[in-house]
Amino acid sequence: MRITRTVAGRSRRTAVMATTGLTATALLLTGCGDSGSDSEGADANGNITLTVADFGQFGYKEAGLFEKYHELHPNITVKANTAAEEPVYYTKFLQQLNTGSGLADVHGIEVGRAKELVDTKADAFADLSKVIDTDQWVNWKALQATTDDGKVIGAGTDIGPMSICYRRDLFEQAGLPSDREEVAAKLAGGWEDYLKLGEEYKKKAPKGTFFMDSASAMYNGVVSSGSEQYYAKNGDPIYKESAGVKAGWKLASEAVDKKLTQGLAQFQDPWKAALRQGTMATVACPAWMAAQIATYSGDKYKGKWDIARTPGETAANWGGSFLSVPAKGKHVKEAGELVKWLTAPEQQAAVFKAAGLFPSNKGAYDLPDVKTAKLEYFNNAPIGEIYAEEAQIIPAAVLGPKDGVIKDTFSKQINNMEQRGTSPDDAWDAAIKDIDKVVG
Amino acid sequence: MATTTPTRDAHGRRPDRRAPKPMTPGRQAWRSRLWRFDDKASPYAYIAPFFLVFGAFGLYPLVYTGWIALHKVEMTGLDQMEWVGWENFSTILQDSEFWTAVTNTFVIGVISTVPQLMVALGLAHLLNYKLRASTFWRTVILTPYATSVASAALVFALVFRADGGLLNWVLGFFGFGETNWVNGHWTSNIAIAIIVIWRWTGYNTLIYLAAMQAVPSDLYEAASLDGASRWQQFRNVTIPALRPTILFTIVISTIGSMQLFGEPLLLEGGTNGAQGGTEHQYETLSIYLYNYGWNLGHLGTAAAVAWAMLVLLLLIAAINWLIGRLARKTAA
Amino acid sequence: MTTTNTVTAPADRRVSKAPVSDGPPRRSRFKPGAGRQHHAGPFAYFALVIVGIGSLFPLYWTLVAASRTQDEILDTTPPLIPGGNLFHNLEAAWEQANLGKAIVNTVIVSSSITLATLFFCTLAGYAFAKMRFRGRGALMTMVIATLTIPPQLSVVPLFMMMSDIGWGGQLESVIFPTLVSAFGVFFMRQYLLEALPYELIEAGRVDGANNLRIVWSIVLPVARPAMMVLGMLTFVQAWNDFFWPYLALNQQNPTLQVALGQLSAAYVPDQSIVMAGALISTLPLLVVFVIFGKQIVGGIMSGAVKG
Repeated sequence: MRITRTVAGRSRRTAVMATTGLTATALLLTGCGDSGSDSEGADANGNITLTVADFGQFGYKEAGLFEKYHELHPNITVKANTAAEEPVYYTKFLQQLNTGSGLADVHGIEVGRAKELVDTKADAFADLSKVIDTDQWVNWKALQATTDDGKVIGAGTDIGPMSICYRRDLFEQAGLPSDREEVAAKLAGGWEDYLKLGEEYKKKAPKGTFFMDSASAMYNGVVSSGSEQYYAKNGDPIYKESAGVKAGWKLASEAVDKKLTQGLAQFQDPWKAALRQGTMATVACPAWMAAQIATYSGDKYKGKWDIARTPGETAANWGGSFLSVPAKGKHVKEAGELVKWLTAPEQQAAVFKAAGLFPSNKGAYDLPDVKTAKLEYFNNAPIGEIYAEEAQIIPAAVLGPKDGVIKDTFSKQINNMEQRGTSPDDAWDAAIKDIDKVVG
Repeated sequence: MATTTPTRDAHGRRPDRRAPKPMTPGRQAWRSRLWRFDDKASPYAYIAPFFLVFGAFGLYPLVYTGWIALHKVEMTGLDQMEWVGWENFSTILQDSEFWTAVTNTFVIGVISTVPQLMVALGLAHLLNYKLRASTFWRTVILTPYATSVASAALVFALVFRADGGLLNWVLGFFGFGETNWVNGHWTSNIAIAIIVIWRWTGYNTLIYLAAMQAVPSDLYEAASLDGASRWQQFRNVTIPALRPTILFTIVISTIGSMQLFGEPLLLEGGTNGAQGGTEHQYETLSIYLYNYGWNLGHLGTAAAVAWAMLVLLLLIAAINWLIGRLARKTAA
Repeated sequence: MTTTNTVTAPADRRVSKAPVSDGPPRRSRFKPGAGRQHHAGPFAYFALVIVGIGSLFPLYWTLVAASRTQDEILDTTPPLIPGGNLFHNLEAAWEQANLGKAIVNTVIVSSSITLATLFFCTLAGYAFAKMRFRGRGALMTMVIATLTIPPQLSVVPLFMMMSDIGWGGQLESVIFPTLVSAFGVFFMRQYLLEALPYELIEAGRVDGANNLRIVWSIVLPVARPAMMVLGMLTFVQAWNDFFWPYLALNQQNPTLQVALGQLSAAYVPDQSIVMAGALISTLPLLVVFVIFGKQIVGGIMSGAVKG
């Protein structure tokens, strides 16, 4: 039996035992230590990797800007982590800000979240006004990311002037005009005309297709054309009585009632699949939406999509984003330089040209790339022309801390009307109840 | 060997037994005190890590949850706690979504547990026969257990898809139209239950099989002497012998259904999944807690949800205890 | 994990005298039970084949989906054999979801938890099985009681604590809360209760070994088979753990399951890429299962009976 070995062995065995224990502990600790530093610091040659965390529609990949930055700065590699749905991304981002860990070097911020971050988390960001001249931006855009004491937490990337993306081939089959000027002319009366066009489409709709993807998209288009949306200037939430919300809701209910929509929640998987299968004739299209449509529809529908001017006279801005540099990132300085470069006029113009995201940097508007930009995927739609005019007259919207959630909740309830036949009143009540929960 | 343990109380007598060489009285006393200390302290030292870790990361947070539940704590400011009393509790109790989540959790719990355990019982019975390649069969049915919740939920998400889903395709052969599984209340709950059943049936089968193999065969011999058929043997010998095991798997599965998170989160995925569906049609309590704390950012309310779950668990435990007592009484 | 490994426990005590495959040879008091004497008929095999297909098909289909394109998966007639797109999808998943780091992290987390669980649970299990001390019964009851507490009940303060001490988003935050497991303590106790005779300990004492030495040279060797099993069960569980890691970690520093959860919500055009991620996260465990399936099956069964 093992134990008959004498006491002499004891100390050695104890030592072995202790060593094992210590090794295990050390393994634990070093293991954790390693993993703690997630972006590898500079290596011997000073090479670093910058991570950019964003969602959906920034267009850098399409424009090849990260590779280009690497060419300009051979010691810097840029990596992107991109989420499909902004709410999923933001949930995690807030956590990362709170714990100060797991942050990428550069984080995208959607305009609906800007106010909340400016109000509650400004300390967690590097002040970009020290790196970048914020006067370059359209005025309202810069203000959205500026705190009361002048700190700038985000540099504007794009803004979202509205348009209508539509399928030329489906329009033709349905006996509608497919030329973008003619389509725009039919929509000249505003969003009501959009619905009328939908009814016309429906009469001769090609089998298995729908006029629009979701009434929630149209709702967002309508709401974003007002300067007062979910919050009043004094900061009070007014989502229950806001004129824009009421108008948008009414139109959306009508679209559902007339069965003009396929009823798919945007950016979710069935929606992506429907784009790929080509069952939707129109999508209410803020500039950044074009990139999503191109990505998800794939080569099959290249050239079949087109872009027409937004319905009516009103200009609208839906969405648009910022790039921020969290103060606790690994490479704050380098990240600031990257953001500066990415949001400079030339790069914004390149993104516009490649993916259709409209620049928020005024300097970009005069560049030929913007003025004459055509989007190949969309039958060479002259997006420079289409958006530039509108961008000039976009009203400066009042932002609130929970804009993002409120917008998503209304959209969700509109989806419920579409998908499960919830009555508009019930859906409204459910939306208000959910929003009260968030704001309260 | 283990049945005879005369030296169970071996500890007390030790010091005089070991004295290989003479020692000075003082030294001996010191050593003997050391030994006694070793004996007294060692067991506590051995169990200490468990209780330390459990205390720090289990018990303390559990109690602290109750304290947080009385405060307003926001994800945007984790270090600020504002006393609000019972407000969080009244918020969730008045929230119809909470009751939806309770109902869903209960429904999914039942429709996943009952078929699962019945199938497991039947399978265990089959595996208890003399089988070719019995280890192979056991491993095969246990394989889903090696699959993570995330992988399982994602592959089943494809199976249950409305457009181009595998299940709808198969059902199409039987003349069923397209079902939007995640959209309906029952269909989505069934979908989640099927994921649970798939992952856990094999595991429970092995538990039952082990219990069946432990049933003394004299009982069967006696039964077959009485002329009982195989089915009667199964009903009158196997099931009663397995009753404690069955009761226990029921309890554990119930607790398990309280924890359902990954399945509903990823069945549809994205923002819908994080809220248990557009109408919360498959929202479970865990999702509700997550949604309140991590999506809406109200951690105080999320803590109140946790305590509500605790109360429900205690209720289930009480009911289980009552049933157990009744069962024993009827058995006696 | 939905149902924890706890499925064993106390209710079985009445039937707990069964032979245990991993233990040292022991004369069993009972002959093997139930239908053992009967051979399985064709119906039994038929039923097993059906169940077997049901068990394996979703895994097989993960592979099929991961090797196709989205269009093919969602085609009106879904494909039933793998296609040629596997490596493309794997690469895309790898790029998008930080999978390389996730694998390293998962290995670190799972092995740390497994090592610690084995070490601490064997010690505690031994103490509860074979040592006499004040409060043993009450403390053991406490251990068993903790089996029934779902992690959901404590995640809120846990999350706040972790960010407070600077472990937010770090692997520490998922490792430390699971360093021990009540199931492990219980499992080791049940095993040692029968497998470790008092005579052996007593012999050690006669030889003048102190308690630590007895643990090292008597308890551990006897416990080794049970430790193997517990190790594998713990590893599987740690590898697959989802709820708390999903809350605590993030995309920059994920485990495989967290990365997979994020990948499913990522800006990728293809579900087949997501399935490629699922494949990567499942494959290592399947390999373990093919190699150690017999031991794992035996372990679950012995744990069950001994409960």
